[in-house]
Amino acid sequence: MGIVDYGIGNHASVMHSLRDIGFRVRVGSEIDVLNDVDVLLLPGVGAYPTAMKALHQHGLVGYLQDQARAQRPIIGICLGMQLLASASHELQYTDGLDLIPGKVVPLTEPKWHIGWNTIECVQRDSLLWPSDGQAFYFNHSFAYQGPPEYQVCVSRHLTTLSSVIRRGKVVGLQFHPEKSQAAGRILLKNVVFGLAHA
Amino acid sequence: MPDITFCKRCLYSSVHPLGLTFDGDGICSGCRIHEEKDSLDWSSRWQKLESVVQPYRNRDGRNYDCIVPVTGSGDSYYIVYLVKQRLGLNPLLVTYNKYFNTPLGIRNLANLRIRFNCDILYQNINPNSVKKIIRGTLRRFGSIYWPILAGQTVFPVQTAVRYQVPLIIWGAHQGLEQVGMFSHEHEVEMTRRYRKDHDLMGAEADDLLSIFDTLTEEDIWQFRYPDDDELKSVGVRGIYLGNYVRWDPKAQHEQMMRDYDYRTAMFSRTFDRYDYVDCFNYMDVHDLLKLYKHGYSKVTDHATREIRFGRLTRDEGLALVRQHELAPLRFLDQFCEWLGVTPRSMQFLLDQHRNRRFWTKTEPAGWEFRGVSTMQDQRNSEASGRTGLPDIFKANDKLEYDRNLDYVTIGKGWP
Amino acid sequence: MLKKRLVGVVTVKDGWAVQSFGYKRYLPLGRPECLIENLDRWGADEILVQVIDRSVDCQIPDFELLERIARLGLETPLIYGGGIRSVHDGVRAIQFGADRLVVDSIAHDDPCIVRGLSEQLGAQAIIAALPLSLHSGRIEWLDYRRRCATPIPEDILSLLETGVASETLIIDWTNEGYPEAFQVDLVKMFPLSAVPLIAFGGISASRQMIELLSFSNVAAIAVGNFLSYREHAVQEFKKALAGMSLRPPVYESTLPGLTDA
Repeated sequence: MGIVDYGIGNHASVMHSLRDIGFRVRVGSEIDVLNDVDVLLLPGVGAYPTAMKALHQHGLVGYLQDQARAQRPIIGICLGMQLLASASHELQYTDGLDLIPGKVVPLTEPKWHIGWNTIECVQRDSLLWPSDGQAFYFNHSFAYQGPPEYQVCVSRHLTTLSSVIRRGKVVGLQFHPEKSQAAGRILLKNVVFGLAHA
Repeated sequence: MPDITFCKRCLYSSVHPLGLTFDGDGICSGCRIHEEKDSLDWSSRWQKLESVVQPYRNRDGRNYDCIVPVTGSGDSYYIVYLVKQRLGLNPLLVTYNKYFNTPLGIRNLANLRIRFNCDILYQNINPNSVKKIIRGTLRRFGSIYWPILAGQTVFPVQTAVRYQVPLIIWGAHQGLEQVGMFSHEHEVEMTRRYRKDHDLMGAEADDLLSIFDTLTEEDIWQFRYPDDDELKSVGVRGIYLGNYVRWDPKAQHEQMMRDYDYRTAMFSRTFDRYDYVDCFNYMDVHDLLKLYKHGYSKVTDHATREIRFGRLTRDEGLALVRQHELAPLRFLDQFCEWLGVTPRSMQFLLDQHRNRRFWTKTEPAGWEFRGVSTMQDQRNSEASGRTGLPDIFKANDKLEYDRNLDYVTIGKGWP
Repeated sequence: MLKKRLVGVVTVKDGWAVQSFGYKRYLPLGRPECLIENLDRWGADEILVQVIDRSVDCQIPDFELLERIARLGLETPLIYGGGIRSVHDGVRAIQFGADRLVVDSIAHDDPCIVRGLSEQLGAQAIIAALPLSLHSGRIEWLDYRRRCATPIPEDILSLLETGVASETLIIDWTNEGYPEAFQVDLVKMFPLSAVPLIAFGGISASRQMIELLSFSNVAAIAVGNFLSYREHAVQEFKKALAGMSLRPPVYESTLPGLTDA
């Protein structure tokens, strides 16, 4: 497992979860470190424009786009999932990685989604199906909107929002599996194993 | 380094490793909670205890009502007396072999099970593992007691799970009694958190595996706490009698000496003669390490307790502390031999743990003690003389009982 | 469906985890990391660490504590409060591993900073703490550094109304630490009915939790002292709250047996 370190966020919890499951984990932003792993994990917290700027500064935008084309497994978590999309309207219009076409828009009524919510699989995806109906921890105020073929799971909070998106071997998780205790560990294990062996 | 705050009433200070808070009058949390001993309605608290244990009574007599952890000293006699005689419960006693057993301790434990006519389970962990762990914890934490504390606090819980006897009855809660960590009315119960935080200095069995590469799974698995789901399936619950009974160790021990022939001995490092008589090292090298690391030792705990009970004045307590805390060790050579470390290496290891806040190196090979007792003033200088200090604890035997002053590493005991 | 939450609170004073009673009396508990790790294992829905001597002593947030907590590798969301005085402080706290922040005195001293935090980190990451009490039938807000209680300042109400902070932590500060003492009127009479609330202070019985969780604007219950008196305190409360839309209790097992794809 390679955690993409672009200077945003704290990796301790996700590293701990992955190691607990039994994966070897490396953290870095250098291409040679990230080339040496089976699955890439893109974390993220805070504002979209700041995160994209940091990715550009580390030369990782082109790299991640190349890797996705080469069918390398990539998992985006929370803001990391939103970065996989085409663009976001947070603060100012910002281009994303465009690995899973779609846009990121602010939540309205209510303006944020906080707490433990269940996910519902709307597509039969063997990686996510065992976690259907489980609760995970969400903490965001923007959400992905895109073509239904990329939406694997949704969650409901007054409106329906995408909780898991997928295109090929690129998967986005809107919630924090590393902060979702046992359910999160199980889902991460299934998704990572599933992507690595697909 | 932050300043040390001293309690205006007892001899404790803010360096206490369990944590201590102070109120606006400068009185510590331990003293404040101690005041409850004279303000609570103990007869109604006893009724509460009866109602707590009631659901655990085995009506058909086919299993024990509770587990009672015991040793050859401590409050074990009084606890078994309360459980068996006063509450009328049918306990399974459990005891963990600490290796450093005095003949008196072996005798006391045997006498305990015989006089109270109880069933008892002994646990003994293999000496290789215990010594490996102690070598590591001595070097790293300055503690020789980790395996004993770990074993004493986990064996009863493992037994509760294995034998499906959910209720474990302990005596006093150390955090409550020393630093007033809880009110008696909180009715605090046994938790894994407290064990890891305070009994085990922040390191559970699996933490030792990551800290020490000399240790393997087979050395530590016995000290592992049962999983939450195991505890839940049996309904394991540990209660403290000290929440329901006005706990007074001195008075209780004296009652047990009179009524059940509990036997006691003198120590050089404290004036209390009732507790820890079952261990060669607790009031010896273990106590010295406490003085090295924390700037005070067990005699301060004893003096503080007696000051709070009004049996010693603060000046008398301080004088007794100064009289005892620097007494030389008596059993260090035996410990070195048992552990397989030379006396010279041992002293080197011990010296690593001298807290520079309380110990200053003097040339060529000496140390000056500037511990907590040196920072406290006697209020009434007349009480500071060595003669005339109260002698309120009675020793009616010796640590070696009728044997040599040697560890009884495994002893089934004799009347 | 979004669940309601049981938040475990760890109060830190002089580097030590303590029990707090009425904002004036404290009893020691132990190492903050031991309490936090324990709440993680028990399956608390969030863990709130409040370092209560930071603003009073004008010190920066306790980043060292956050670093030590991060090393635990928690799998439970972490909320940090204590000494956040600038946007930089808040961003750093998140970088050190907090998921959300509690702001108290700064909401009153300098609401712009709270707006800045909300913009940088998202309103979901910001919780406003309001120590409240009842006086002559009116709700009053405590400025705990100056130890005086006044009606809730307008600037704070507008911060909450405009959604700068996502949730409000209502602290019944006079009753904290005392069993079954939380005054439910603080919730009933709170002027902004659309603002999600976290109730805290003197909540020790499931009866109280059931009453509070039945209010649609109460998103969570926070409990501090009362989680330290018995084993599995979080699970026991959750068991008693079955049907109140919380996650069910979990009893950890380290035996293998994870569900596989």
